[in-house]
Amino acid sequence: MWFIARLKERTLLLIASAYFLTGAGTIYLTRPGDNKGLFLTGAGVLILALFALSYMWQRLDFNGNQYLLPLAAIFSYTSLIFLYRLDQAYALRQFIWLLAGLAIVAFITCFLRNYNFLADYKYIYAVLGIIGLVLPIFWGTEQGGAKSWLDLGFFHIQTSEFVKILLVLFLASFLTENRLILAKGTRNFYGFTIPGPQEWGPLVLMWAISLLLLIFQKDLGGALIFFSTFLAMVYVATARIFYTISGASLFLIGTAFCYRYFEHIRWRIKVWLNPWPYADTAGYQVLQSLFALSAGGLTGTGLGNGFPNFIPAVHTDFIFAAITEEIGLLGGIGIIILYFLFLYSGFQVAVKTKDEFASLLASGLTALIGIQTFVIIAGVTKLLPLTGITLPFISYGGSSLGANFIILGLLLVVSQEYPERSRSG
Amino acid sequence: MAVNIRKLAYFLTGLFVVLIIYLFYLNLWQGPVLANHPYNKRAAAQEAMVQRGTISDCHGVVLAKTITQRGLKKRIYPQGEDFAPLIGFISLRYGHTGLESVYNQELLGISTVSKLKNFINRLTHRPLAGNSLILTLDASLQHLARQLLNNQRGAIVALDPRTGAILALASAPGYDPNTIDKAVNLGTGKKITEFDLLKKDPTAPFLNRATQGVYPPGSAFKIITLAGALTYAPEAVQGTYNCTGSTMVEGFRLTDHSVHGEVYFQQALAVSCNAYFARLGLALGQNKFYQNALSFGFNQNPGEGDKLWQDIYSPGKVTLPGQMSKPELASSAIGQGQITVSPLQMALATAGIANAGVIMKPYLLSEVRSPNGGTLGKNAPKRWKTATTPLVAGLVNGAMQAVVEYGTGQAAAVPGLKVAGKTGSAQNPQGKTHAWFVGFAPAESPRVVVAVVIEQKGTGGVVAAPIAREMLRAALSNR
Repeated sequence: MWFIARLKERTLLLIASAYFLTGAGTIYLTRPGDNKGLFLTGAGVLILALFALSYMWQRLDFNGNQYLLPLAAIFSYTSLIFLYRLDQAYALRQFIWLLAGLAIVAFITCFLRNYNFLADYKYIYAVLGIIGLVLPIFWGTEQGGAKSWLDLGFFHIQTSEFVKILLVLFLASFLTENRLILAKGTRNFYGFTIPGPQEWGPLVLMWAISLLLLIFQKDLGGALIFFSTFLAMVYVATARIFYTISGASLFLIGTAFCYRYFEHIRWRIKVWLNPWPYADTAGYQVLQSLFALSAGGLTGTGLGNGFPNFIPAVHTDFIFAAITEEIGLLGGIGIIILYFLFLYSGFQVAVKTKDEFASLLASGLTALIGIQTFVIIAGVTKLLPLTGITLPFISYGGSSLGANFIILGLLLVVSQEYPERSRSG
Repeated sequence: MAVNIRKLAYFLTGLFVVLIIYLFYLNLWQGPVLANHPYNKRAAAQEAMVQRGTISDCHGVVLAKTITQRGLKKRIYPQGEDFAPLIGFISLRYGHTGLESVYNQELLGISTVSKLKNFINRLTHRPLAGNSLILTLDASLQHLARQLLNNQRGAIVALDPRTGAILALASAPGYDPNTIDKAVNLGTGKKITEFDLLKKDPTAPFLNRATQGVYPPGSAFKIITLAGALTYAPEAVQGTYNCTGSTMVEGFRLTDHSVHGEVYFQQALAVSCNAYFARLGLALGQNKFYQNALSFGFNQNPGEGDKLWQDIYSPGKVTLPGQMSKPELASSAIGQGQITVSPLQMALATAGIANAGVIMKPYLLSEVRSPNGGTLGKNAPKRWKTATTPLVAGLVNGAMQAVVEYGTGQAAAVPGLKVAGKTGSAQNPQGKTHAWFVGFAPAESPRVVVAVVIEQKGTGGVVAAPIAREMLRAALSNR
């Protein structure tokens, strides 16, 4: 039966390829420029690379989830189509990072298949994570208002993208050990059973770290995602709404504090509440985004036919507005539904696995992608205050893309269905 | 733990659903507001990519065109003030007005018909170009009309009663659409533009008086009353009537300028006897009077399904029969009271007489041409309303000839040409009467109808009739 192994995955990849080629074909025919041949070649290379990955898994008897790769493929294809349409230089670099991302996935699924050892290094994650957060504060450079980038000479790296994964790894291992104590509680406090400081200590620590991020890196979005992912994982591990509510209150208090004392946070909120008085200054970006989102109507202006370049930083944080302008409300909702399917697959992996660490890891990583998607789309649509973060797999950026492909790789290895024979090993 | 994961998944799904609902709201509910917001540069950017089509008159004279000056597209109006506010202007700051607004889609080539063509143009990287409009207007006649108006507040309409094609549609005061965005220095230090000045101007230069002006028609309306009486109350028109200089209607006195003595209907129209026509109105009764006004196009728009007239035409208004008292009926019959008209409405009603009882649908756009010169659509003459019978139209025509031969409209006479017409001196609360003249020529087979109104400048016979004469002469000499 080897020939039907991963058939589903390849069928879906075929559909994704048709989607990609339609978009690439439209761009090829409608946009003037000399590099169009190169673009089509790149498209072909990427499609082949994805099929090769699927074929390699078949040969190596890798039996991970078959939906995650096609979904990541559609996101990546969307990314390339729109980045090429917005600025060809971005598309070229994104293409290289995409290939690197696929290499990361290939590496993880080949060499880290027995991922259980990952549970043993929780303090290494914590140390690496803190280093990753602290380095940019001292040696960081500022991009797009957030000081969270490290200049490594030939390219910039946004360490917080990778720290998110370290956080999930750390929490997965920490909570696997401590979840029963945290769930039960050891003390009685006005009728609530609460655990001792050694158990809730990390919660407060996380809060402090998020706040530091907020203050020193000016990275509101990063802080929000860190803290939300943390709360989501604690909830999954303990089922105690008490942690979630007290955590959320702590975050709100922290934000209120920052609103009072930090100008840039105050502006974000002001512009969110009413951007019109600042239409030429602080509100410019989000208003241009709103114009783009509503310009396409139900079916969009057509690929290459809108004016998404009116939005500053459209290729990173605001790419969703560009997509909705050109492929319409239906296209934008289609993208959201694809993210929903990604979450569905991710949580499916988390529920199916018998291992607690794996389950926490998968649900944490999935929640991370889900929260990040919600926060950035809500930001560009002005449902929430704008926070500068990327749309997973689609926004331009090497750090973000690399981190997303690590998440994809980890989800894939956790999703393996162990046949009885290899269970012992 | 599986339960917790499911709950978390439901929570995140809920967030996504909220996002989708909000996107619907943003796109469909807020969309139109955001699309037209002045901070939204999309409409302007879209336009900047397209070579906007040319507007020209029936002889090919250019009325509006887009040229490229130092890499920037600029709309110019070679005829200056003549066609404002009818053609209007386009401005990045103040938007579009007039025909530039009504036919924006055609001029940009973004109407549904051109969508496929535009896609093919994109595929072949050809520059986008809009369609050209050919109007029925005659630039020389329009220019003459503007000269005759001589910057007095008023309007002149000329049309061909056989087809409904509009030959001239002039309104004064006008403005120069070429300089609408120009900054004006008043020495007050405040930054204002030509547009700001014009907008505050009490003479309302932006108002297209020819189509949207609201005037009492005065005695010019008597041709409609006469047609109604000849149709519905012929016994009232038979024989003569002794005009004593005034008449009483339920305690309300209607006066004439002089005692006309014994008059029959032709003479009554020629001398514009108020008492006689008040009597005809009363003989008609409210219902027939109202019905007759409707058949001459009152209370209706000729533009059913035509965006042009929907946008720029205000029809004549006549009070509903149930709300019309006897004195009001008598005043309406002589064009006073609550009844109001636009000059174009009066021209259309007159065209009904000139064209043997049939009012043709008015039209301004004769042809839409694609950028390569091919015809995309032509307007063919269509009937609009049957105002009256050919017999009645003939009788009113004869009476209108009497007006010019020996009555109040003698100043409209053109040697060697039979002119039919009717004067009006409409009383209004603002001061001196509005001078009206409606007429056509040649009376035996009319080719041109004119309607003239000059605000608060005196009597129609003295002020408006000579203007109509010049319009008729010019229109017939070059047609």
